[in-house]
Amino acid sequence: MSARVTPAADPGRAARELFSRATGARVWRENRLALWLHFLAPPTLAALAAAAAFANPPLAALLAVLVLALSAASARWLMTRLSRAEEAKDSLTDQLIQSQKMAAVGELSAGIAHEINNPIAIIAQEAEWAGHLLAKAEKSDTPDFTELRDSLREIRAQVDRCGGITHKLLDFARRREPVLQDVDVTRLIDDMARLVDKEASYKDVALVRDLPQDLPLLRTDAPLLRQVVLNLMTNALHAVDKGGHITVTTKVDDAHMDIRVADDGCGIPEENMAKLFTPFFTTKAPGQGTGLGLALCHNLVLGMGGVILVSSRPGQGSVFTVRLPRVPGTGAVR
Amino acid sequence: MSDISILLVDDETDFVETMTKRFRIRKIDVASASNGPDALNLLEGREFDVAILDVRMPGMDGLELLRRIRAKHPLTEVIMLTGHASLETGMQGMSLGAFDYVLKPADFDDLLDKVRRAAERRALNVRTRHAGG
Ligand SMILES: Nc1ncnc2c1ncn2[C@@H]1O[C@H](COP(=O)(O)OP(=O)(O)OP(=O)(O)O)[C@@H](O)[C@H]1O
Ligand SMILES: [Mg+2]
Repeated sequence: MSARVTPAADPGRAARELFSRATGARVWRENRLALWLHFLAPPTLAALAAAAAFANPPLAALLAVLVLALSAASARWLMTRLSRAEEAKDSLTDQLIQSQKMAAVGELSAGIAHEINNPIAIIAQEAEWAGHLLAKAEKSDTPDFTELRDSLREIRAQVDRCGGITHKLLDFARRREPVLQDVDVTRLIDDMARLVDKEASYKDVALVRDLPQDLPLLRTDAPLLRQVVLNLMTNALHAVDKGGHITVTTKVDDAHMDIRVADDGCGIPEENMAKLFTPFFTTKAPGQGTGLGLALCHNLVLGMGGVILVSSRPGQGSVFTVRLPRVPGTGAVR
Repeated sequence: MSDISILLVDDETDFVETMTKRFRIRKIDVASASNGPDALNLLEGREFDVAILDVRMPGMDGLELLRRIRAKHPLTEVIMLTGHASLETGMQGMSLGAFDYVLKPADFDDLLDKVRRAAERRALNVRTRHAGG
């Protein structure tokens, strides 16, 4: 037996809806006047042309050309209207599915993270206690004991890792209302860059700040923006090889402020571009990345009314640009 | 703008003393604790606008303390102090809801400015909370 996929609620109506869409009845209903005009005008003129052919051949020829042009224009108009409507519907559906997916993932993750947090805490405590008992035990320097201690240490390390993941999930799912303050973006970026400097120097990576001193203040949520900037710089640092470069710049026009993090690292293959902001998409080894960084950034920036733009050349590097509206609430940036 | 209250938590007593003195000169109300549990006790007794936490402390570390403060006293804004810049703790701190980071040795004016902004944020939060019922 096959499962029913369609929702049970009023299948008759759904079928009628589908039928009217398939036959174009809905388009018909909504554009009746224009469509009548398109269907009737060319044949009418054609009939006129045929009639005129008996009386006056040159006039008929002229009319025929007119009819042809009119039908062509009309057909074209219809086609463009139709394909535009189709595209709009597709992109709307995509967006809808995407945001529903995000919301569902968020809710699901938060639920799971919540449930798992308690057992994780108990495992951590028990491991702690076992370690304590082991330390007190006599003859604790035999190979078996050493092995036990190693094993316990590993348990603790892995439990920490789980804790890290649940914490990231909860953070990802948390709803935040941005709190708007006047923010010195140059300083904000520099502050966050300082946290990255040390790791960058281990890798012999230059983290260049090309920041103007006279950048206007931006009305935005500072801690959220810090999180975004830190995530982008971290990703860039992971993407570059030893001796690579990361450059952070800002740009401002009347409506927006751009924060741009560019690197000359591995770049992003074309087929991954569309997945970057999907929760759990990562190319890093297990334990190295959860794939929530960019998904979180996407949510945060969206909440601030902005967008994140990405461009990349595989093998040459990537540029992530955070574009924020200078006046919050003036509509999302396109 | 001197009706700001700060809780300074650091096990380095010299640092706490100097900072306390300097904040008080600006008529800013400062309390201090040298470890996490003491800080939490103080927070049970009264509200603070801003807590400044050292990341590295024996016993309960700054990140754990941050986590507890955000859970129990969400209106108190937290500024993290760190002696050695680390990406990992930076990321954790920001995602746990810290307002900002300050690297030690802290430049006092920089810290003061961040405290003011954190306090401003708290005031905004209090206001919207009241407006929202
Ligand atoms: N600057 C970059 N250059 C090349 N690839 C990148 C860059 N930034 C992100 N990516 C790719 O996008 C993926 C997703 O990034 P994201 O930040 O969401 O997760 P992550 O870094 O893998 O893990 P997490 O941030 O959760 O620790 C990365 O695994 C990497 O493949
Ligand atoms: Mg990342």
